[in-house]
Amino acid sequence: MTIAFHPDISTLMAFSAGTLEEPYAVVVATHVAMCEACREQKKRIDTIGGAVLASAGEAAMSPGALDRLLARADDSIELTRETSRSKAAADSRLPAPLASRLAGGLESVRWRWSGPGVSVADLPVSPGVDGRLMLLRVAGGRPVPEHSHGGQELTLILQGAYQDRFGRFGVGDIADHDEDVEHQPIAEAGQDCICLVAVDARLSFRNRVIRALQPFFGL
Amino acid sequence: MYAVTMEEFEGNPDRTAVSIEPIELIRRVAEARDREALTRLFQLFAPRIKSMMLRLGADQAQAEDLTQEALLTVWRKAHLYSPEKGAASTWIFTIARNLRIDLVRRHSSKPWVDLDDVELASDAPLGSDTVEQSQIIARVAKAIEHLPVDQRKVVELSFVQDLAHSEIAERIGIPLGTVKSRLRLAYERLRPLLEDLH
Repeated sequence: MTIAFHPDISTLMAFSAGTLEEPYAVVVATHVAMCEACREQKKRIDTIGGAVLASAGEAAMSPGALDRLLARADDSIELTRETSRSKAAADSRLPAPLASRLAGGLESVRWRWSGPGVSVADLPVSPGVDGRLMLLRVAGGRPVPEHSHGGQELTLILQGAYQDRFGRFGVGDIADHDEDVEHQPIAEAGQDCICLVAVDARLSFRNRVIRALQPFFGL
Repeated sequence: MYAVTMEEFEGNPDRTAVSIEPIELIRRVAEARDREALTRLFQLFAPRIKSMMLRLGADQAQAEDLTQEALLTVWRKAHLYSPEKGAASTWIFTIARNLRIDLVRRHSSKPWVDLDDVELASDAPLGSDTVEQSQIIARVAKAIEHLPVDQRKVVELSFVQDLAHSEIAERIGIPLGTVKSRLRLAYERLRPLLEDLH
C-alpha cells in the first residue's frame, strides 16, 4: 500500500499525547495501523512525551511503599481484551482500531441515504463525546459532499479513491484539513469510495440544519 | 544487556555504577515474574512517577496511590510491552499518566488506552536488541529543556497537562494555528535525536 497523505505532525502529537477527541483518535489510529511511516513517526513522538514526563524530578516514596507493592504483586497476569480483539481484527479486512467498532466489516454497514450517490452511517462513540464518527460512501464519479464548514476534519479512505486539488487520495490516505481549506473531492469512476470521517459535533449539528433545509445538499 | 545508563538518565552520580536497562527488567518481569526486577523498577521509577503526579496536582496520598497502581500495572502488563513500541521508560510513564487521566475523568471519553493496547499486542520478541533507550530519553529530555520557551510550553501543556490543542490556545491566548505550528517546530528540532530509535 502506497500512502501519500498523512496526518499533520501536530495531529499525531495530539494523538500520542492522548488529547484527541475519540472520533479523531479512531481515524488516526486506523491510519496508523495502515501506515508504517506513521507508526515510526508516532514512536518518535511517544519518546518526546516520555522524555517530558521523565523530567519531573524525584519525590521520595513513603516507607513501606515497596513492601506494599510486592504484597500486591501476585502471580496473575492480566489477560486484557486485546487478545480477543486482535483475533476479531484478524478475521476482518479492516484495521484493528476500526474492526473493533465495526464487528461485521464494511459489508454489514447499515447505510442511510443522504443524497444522490451518497450514503452515510454513524459509528458509535462513547457517551458525552464531542464529535461525530461516520462512514461516508460516494458512488464513483460523484462529488463527495462537504462534510463540514469549519473545525478540524479528518477523512481516511478505506475503499476506492477520490481526487481534489491536493491530488489523488487512495486507500490509507488521510486528509487532515483545517477549517479554512476549500476543496471539492470527486470520487474516482468505478468502485464506490468509502471514507472514515471525524468531524466536530457542532458541525454535524449544523449539518443537520443544512440537511433539513436542503435535502439534496450536505449530509 | 547490562549497561551503565541509568546514571545519565537519572542525572544522579550517586547511584550504583552498574545498572540494568529498564527494558531488561521488564523482560524479566514478563518472562520470569521476577520480583527482584520489579523492586529495581520501583527504585528507578517510583520517585519519578510520584514527582510527576505531584506536578500534575495530585496530593501526597493520591500521588503515592497512583504510583503504586502504575507499578502494579507494569507488573501485570509486562508481557504486553514491546521494544518496538518505544522506550521502556516511555511506556511506564505513559501508563502512569493514563492512570491519572482515568482518575481525573472517570467517564474518560478517550479511547487512547484501548487503542494503545491494540497496538501493543505485537509479535515482536521482548528484549530484542535496541539502542540504549535511556540514553535517547536523556538526550531528548535535555533537548526539550533547550527548546525556545514558547515551543517547550506547548509541548509540556500537551504531554504533561493533557490539554487539547484548542485548550492550550485558550490557556496561553494564542490562535490554534500557532499552537500547531509551535508543536511542528518543536518536533523538527527534536527529530534528529530520535532517528536512531528502533
